[in-house]
Parts: sequence; structure tokens; C-alpha cells
Amino acid sequence: MTSPRLPLLLLGLLAGAASAASAAPSHDLYICAAVNKGYVIGSKIVTVNGLFRRGATGEWQHLGYNDTSVRAVDFDPRNHAVIYTAANNGCWRSLDGGQHWRITTSWDMTEPLDVTIDPHAPDTVYLALPDGIAVSPDRGQTWPRRESGLPERGKYTQVVEVDRTQGGRVLAGCESGIYLTTNGAESWTRVLPTDTTVDDIKQSPHDPRLWLAVTQSNGAWISRDGGLSWKQLAGVPSAHALYNVAFDPLHPSRLAIGSWTLGVLTSEDGGATWTARNAGIPDPHKVWRIAVDPDSGSLYASVVGEALYSSEDFGRTWKRGGLEASTVNAFLFLPVSTP
Amino acid sequence: MKKTFLSLCLAIVSGAVLQAQPSFTAPPPSKAVVPGADTRRAAYDQRIDEALAWRSGQVNLAKPASLDPTAIAAKLVRHEDVAACSARVIELMKEGGSGPFWMFPSVCLAYTGRDSLSAEAKAAIREAWRTNMQLRGDTENHWAMYYTSLYLMSELYPNDPAESWYTGKSSAESLAESREYLIHWMDLMTTVGQGEFNPTGYITEYAIPMLYLATWARDPAMRMRGRMTLDWLFADLAANTLNGVLRGPHARTTENPVMERWNDQASFYSWLLFGNTPPPANYAGFGLYFAVAARNYELPEVIYRIAVDRGPDYVQRDLKRSRRRWRYSDVLMAPIYKTSYMRRDYAVGSFQGGRADPIQTHVWDVSWTVADPRGAHSTLFSVHPYSSPEDMQTSFTAYPEPMIPNLASEGKPSYDAPDKILGASPYEQVFQDLDTIVALYDIPPGMRYPHVNAFLSRDLVDRTEDPSGWIFARGGNAYLAYRPLAGYTLAPFQGYKQQPSKAGYKWERIATGDTLLQSPHLKNGSIVQAASVSEFPSFAAFKAAILALPLEFQLEPVPTVKMKTLRGKDVVVTYGQTPVVDGHPVDYTKWKLFEGPYLNAEKGSRCLTITHGHLKRVLDFNHLSITDSVTP
Repeated sequence: MTSPRLPLLLLGLLAGAASAASAAPSHDLYICAAVNKGYVIGSKIVTVNGLFRRGATGEWQHLGYNDTSVRAVDFDPRNHAVIYTAANNGCWRSLDGGQHWRITTSWDMTEPLDVTIDPHAPDTVYLALPDGIAVSPDRGQTWPRRESGLPERGKYTQVVEVDRTQGGRVLAGCESGIYLTTNGAESWTRVLPTDTTVDDIKQSPHDPRLWLAVTQSNGAWISRDGGLSWKQLAGVPSAHALYNVAFDPLHPSRLAIGSWTLGVLTSEDGGATWTARNAGIPDPHKVWRIAVDPDSGSLYASVVGEALYSSEDFGRTWKRGGLEASTVNAFLFLPVSTP
Repeated sequence: MKKTFLSLCLAIVSGAVLQAQPSFTAPPPSKAVVPGADTRRAAYDQRIDEALAWRSGQVNLAKPASLDPTAIAAKLVRHEDVAACSARVIELMKEGGSGPFWMFPSVCLAYTGRDSLSAEAKAAIREAWRTNMQLRGDTENHWAMYYTSLYLMSELYPNDPAESWYTGKSSAESLAESREYLIHWMDLMTTVGQGEFNPTGYITEYAIPMLYLATWARDPAMRMRGRMTLDWLFADLAANTLNGVLRGPHARTTENPVMERWNDQASFYSWLLFGNTPPPANYAGFGLYFAVAARNYELPEVIYRIAVDRGPDYVQRDLKRSRRRWRYSDVLMAPIYKTSYMRRDYAVGSFQGGRADPIQTHVWDVSWTVADPRGAHSTLFSVHPYSSPEDMQTSFTAYPEPMIPNLASEGKPSYDAPDKILGASPYEQVFQDLDTIVALYDIPPGMRYPHVNAFLSRDLVDRTEDPSGWIFARGGNAYLAYRPLAGYTLAPFQGYKQQPSKAGYKWERIATGDTLLQSPHLKNGSIVQAASVSEFPSFAAFKAAILALPLEFQLEPVPTVKMKTLRGKDVVVTYGQTPVVDGHPVDYTKWKLFEGPYLNAEKGSRCLTITHGHLKRVLDFNHLSITDSVTP
């Protein structure tokens, strides 16, 4: 299909975002966002939703369909025109930079929660599903399930994260724990059992052996050996769900966690201590996603149905920064491709 | 029922002209059996005409908004104002849509207007299917509508390339995917049971797509599947109605029909197909999408007779299944054991096993017949008001916190209300034998709502609280005895009234005149026994009979009831244990897909036998065959 009605739609400005003023950022920021309060299947969509790219002056440009359900996005590192998204209908793929899209999955895979390309084998795409994990070896042409080692029940998968240092090495956050594969999902081994869903896993941009994970009811965890073993971060409460985690690409000791109830938690000592930093963020906080801009160091927080907030001092103060009524499901900072 | 801009238009247009709906405002229709096939068919066609004429008559061509898709479809099948319809279709298609509730109306227009809409209008529909992404949704009814619509559009434009569809898949690819899913879904239904079973509202979201398949599918096999599935759904509807009013339990219903049993989509189908109850206002709105193609369906006499020509009281036991459980569950779909006991004056229904749906389930009730069901709250039941974000996560791919705050605006206002009467709890276990219900509750400490609610209708007559602990009342021609097993308070019940809203749903709490019984005890239970007025010389005699029956119960360590029922059964029901009847544990493993005087099917069989008197129809999905026979 073509998306003729919403080609690179100007949606709004990310006011005050330092990155917008940057002369030559080395990353393009893409987000997956729903900008629609109260949407329910069947109701009229009156706003623009889905995949957006931040333009040079901070404006948000829409790509593809108006889809309230886009959860995640990834790009082929060889060719950024090849895009995959995870959304209600399955895994969508564009081969031409978002002009045309195809649902690559069929009826038997629905509501994927994450999609990730193996940078070492970019034809290989991992898909986190509510009932397991599928891996496409051929850019989404086929989607065999790869669930050996996952439990028959307990394989609800929220997140898949590929180890950037080793092809076929992937960590998956499931309802029953963190699972590791080192052979391209031919088999999985549980490396951390949990009571409830692992909501996010991230690899440090500074040290590839350092990983962080957050969970729904078991707090936050750190691994210093590439995900083989995990230790709970004592300073992070486990009474409330933690939705996602971010490393600051510019400061190795800075970490951040987003949580509906707790808001934004930050650490500036590598996770030893944590501070809630919500000055300027609405109360209740309803923080859905956080991310750190690798170019400007801005900390972003998406507050559900409210706006995108930004902080230039790592959470000490926040400013409401555009994307009114939005909920950002994913941030992706894509290295600017060289021609 | 989800809200669409299309249905909103319909509601706005039609809301003020109820007087023009003859069957809605007329006295209840005759319950007499219409024996002649031709007469029945003529009456059926007349009802179709009534609905379509009403809808068409609401249109003011000077006000284009009044020409919504149902109106256009009604006019197209009546060969009226075709040019205006074409022009309006072009306008409507500019708005696109966002999922199955847009898809099936657009399919309806594409097919009803196949031979009459202008080329430009047909092109506008086709173009909308290229430019507008359609969400597949997350429920079985969404998928039934989605894949039926995709199937039919792919057949209508069979050779179109991938880039001409929003899916990015060719007609052939979408056709294959749709067929595969629809057959998969029908396989589930015909082997382990329906998911959204016995729905008061969602029946329309299955009936419409199945009718469209039966009417418009080019592939004879899929057309046959649509026809057979319609028969299956309507046979189930017929067997679960009394005088056209659907009885509980329900996998899914909503706040108002759970009280006013008649007032939902199912009654439109009873009216249209069986002619034995009034239709809801506006012919249930969505029902009009069925009406425009309804001439292509012929209700089998055997199903008609099940609905209107009842013999002795009967028990129907069915196997169903829960909604898909993504996580925090040992099973993907839990089996559900449904029982319906149908008598002339009342029905008792319940299910045991898994919770069918996290939000909208109605597990059990006693409901009685009334001369006119409109406005009647003819039901009695209890429920633990369970509310849990973690439980919601079982069925939804969502985080725990946002779900509950969003439910009211998404059309489920009572989920987190302490006085709710809709929904199921994992801490409720229900046993039924004929017209005896024992519902036991063992609510863990710390639950959000540590109490049990019971709904005492405003329509109960002579309600009395007996010193024995029984509450006696009469509902219609049914005597009712309700025994709360722990202390309680009574208060006026507050219902929900939908308010106009431009974004999401808004609700107002209103007094309904009913009474809410609240029992603030974690170990708890309800016993209900019912009987026809005609069985006893007086209300006092009924009370005396109930009080004379042996009854022992205790709540610690777990609720347990040992009793003799009004029908002479010795019953022992203990929370967490298999119920025992006359010394024999109930064996749910032997439950069949359908078992009763009218509907019978073995688990896994893909084959339903529908019988009434000498009439028999066999729906065999293994061979895609319908076999009718008349036994001597």
C-alpha cells in the first residue's frame, strides 16, 4: 500500500528540545506513538498515530499508516529504508522508507510487542509475541516460531533485545523470566526467573556486558556478564510495575527507569542509588516510556495521554515538550545513515 | 458493543422517531406457533421490510448525515435514491475507518450496491480499502468481522495486486489467510465450543458476518460454512430463549441487559427470526446490517420450533471455552461447562469452570418470563465484584495500571465499581442442578472488594425476609427463594446511563428502582431455588416447602452447603471441591459439546444434531453438509 493521505505529516514541534537546535545530530529519532485519548476498536480516529520521525527543526513527520497500535520499530542497519514495526495486526514491513507497507505475519501471530533486527545478520528479525517468539530468517517473508526452551505456558514475550556484539545472541523478557539464546533462537535458556512479566531489557551502549532489566513486580535487575547472571538493584522499588529502562549514552553512570506509578527514577552512580525525579511531570505520573537522546543528552518521558516531556538536567526539572495527548510506545535513535 | 462513527450516526438519526417502529411500540407479538412455512416466510419478509422501510424512512436527503451506511444499504436493497446513495458513499469513504466496525459496513455497501452504485462510488469503496489501515482488533468478534470482510472484498476484487490493499497482500493472499482463519475459528467452535457464547449483544457481530458469507461468498464451500454457522448460532439462540428473550449465563453482556434481559441485540434476532418478542429500539442498530441481507437466509423449521414450540421442561448442557489467555494461566482457553434449565415460567442458567471473559461475563441467574419484556428486570443473581489489573493482563497485552482507569471510557463502566453486578470472579464457584443454584465464595483477604453483591429486581413481588434467613419473592409466575449465607445490607441499586460524548463513553449513575444486596463477608454464598406458581397452592405453601427441606451450611474453613433441593436431590457443594449429587460427584469430563433434547454434539465432532419433535437437522462441518430428516 501507499500512505497517500499522511505523507510526512507535520504534527507538532518538540518545543525546547535541545536536540532540535543541534546542528548535525548523529541520530534520527523515531517514535511509535498513539496520539488519541480514549481510542477503542471501532471508534473514529481523529488524530495521527503510528510511526513518526523527528525532523531537522524538531517537527514530527508521520510515516506510513495512521495506526494507534504501533508498539515497536526497527530498521535494517544496511538500509534504513527497510523498516519493521510491531502492531496490532502483526509485523509490518516497508522496503521503501515507509511509502509502502505489508503485514508480513498471518492470522496466527497477533499483537506483537517488540521487533528487533540482528545487526550481525540483518535478514534475521525477532518478534516478541503474546504467545512466544518468532524469528524470520528472510526479512519477514516467513516467520517460524523459535520457542525451544521456553515453557509451554509462561512465554508471553514483552521484549527481545539482540546483543550487538554477537550475532544470534538474544535476550527475551517473558512473563516467567529472562531467556537467553546464543544460537539464533534455536534454543532458549532461562537466566532469570520472575513471578510476572519482564517489561524491558536494555544493553549498555558503553559496556556490552552490562544489561538492565525491569519487571512488573520483581523490581529492576542488572547483569554484568552479558545477561548470564542477574542481581536485583536494591534501590529500585518492586511494589509497582516498571515499564522501561534507559542508559544515558553520554554518561556511563546514568540510568533511568520509567514507571506509571513511580514516574521517572534516575541513578547517576551506575544503579547503586536511585532518585525519583518528577518535578514538572503530572501527578499521577503515568510515565510510559523514557529515553535519553544520544546527541543532546536530553531525557525524554512520555506521559500517557498527556505529552512528551523533556529534561535537560537528567530529570531534575521537566518541560512539557509537544506531542500533546500522546503516548509514546517506543523511542528509537537511529544512527544517521551515510550515503 | 463498540461504538463506531457509523453507529453513532445511526443513533443520532434514529433516536427521536421511535413511534415509527411498529413492532417496537406495538403490544408484544403473539407467541402462537406459525405452522405453515409460507406463512412463516411471509411474516419474516414482512419484518425485514418493516426494519428497512423504517431505516429508509428516517433519511432526509437534504441532510446527508442522515444517510449513513445502514440507510444507504436499506435504500439500495429497496432500489431507492440510488444516485444520492452513490454520492454519499463517496463522501463516507473519504473518512475511512479503523477496523472491523468499518469493514463490514463497507462490505455491506460494496455488495448491496454491486449492481446499482455508481462506478465512482464503487471505486471509492475500493480505494478506501487501499488507503486506510484496518485494525484487526483483539477479540473473536472483531476477528470474525475482520476476516469475513477481508475475505469478501478479496473475492469481489480477486486479481488485485498487493499494493492495491492496505495489507500489502494480494487478493489471493488475503483470501487464503482469511479462509484459513475462518475455518480455524469454526473448527474451534465445533470441537471445543464457542468462545463468546450466548452473548446478548455480540451475537450480531457473528450473525452479520456469517450471513454475509452465506450470501455473498463466491466459493460454495465458504458460502456453506456461513450458512451452517448461522444455523449453529441461531439454534443455540433458540434453545437459550424463553419467549424470545435470551437467558443466562453469558460469556459477555453489558450493564443494562444483565438487568433488562430483553434489551439487547439478541432480541432483534428473536424478533426477526422467531417473531416472538419485540425488537429493541432502532432494530438494535446493527441489526439493520443483518436485515439488508436477511432475505438470503431461511430459518430452518426445526430451529424455529425450538424457539417457539416448547415441550416439557428441559436441561441443556453445553461445553464452551473462555477467552484466550495470553499469560498468567495454565491454559490458553479454559473449558466452560454451561447449564440451562428452561421451564415455561422461568429459566435457570449457569456455568462452571473457567471465567469466560475478564470484564463482561454473567455467570448465573434465574430469570422469569413476563408478558411484556420491555423494561422488565426479570432476573435474580449474585456476584463477587472482582477487579484486578493483574487479572486483566491475562487477556490483554497491556500493563497493569492503565487498564482499569480506561475501561469506563471504553464502554465498560462498572468493572471497578464496588456495586457492580456484571463480571465473574475467580473466587466464585457455582453449582446448578435443575432450578437450584449454589454459588459459593471464598474471597481472599486483601481483595479490592471483599463482599458479595446480589441483584434484587424492582419487579419482584411480595419480597419478604424470612426469619429463617431465606428471602422469598415472586417474579412473574415463578416463586423464588434466595438464601444469602452471610449477613447483608440492602440499598438502592444504581445503574448506568450513557451520556452523549465526543470522545469515548461517558456515564451517569441512575437509580433503577432495584435493590442491591451487599454481604461484606469473605466466606460467603448464595442459594437459589425456584418453582412455578402453578406447582403450589399458594406462596405460603412454597415457602413452607423450602423451609421444610434439610439445609446445612458452614462458611469455615471453606463454604460448604449440604441440602436437599426442591426437586429431591441430595446435594453437597464445597468450595474447591467437586459437587456431589445423590452421592455421585459431578463428572465434568463427560460433558458433551451439546447435550439436551434439542441440541446434541460430541466434543470434537464438528457435527451438531438439531431436533424438535419429528424434525431433525444435522450440521456436519466435516463434510460441509446439512441433512434434514423427518422421523416417523
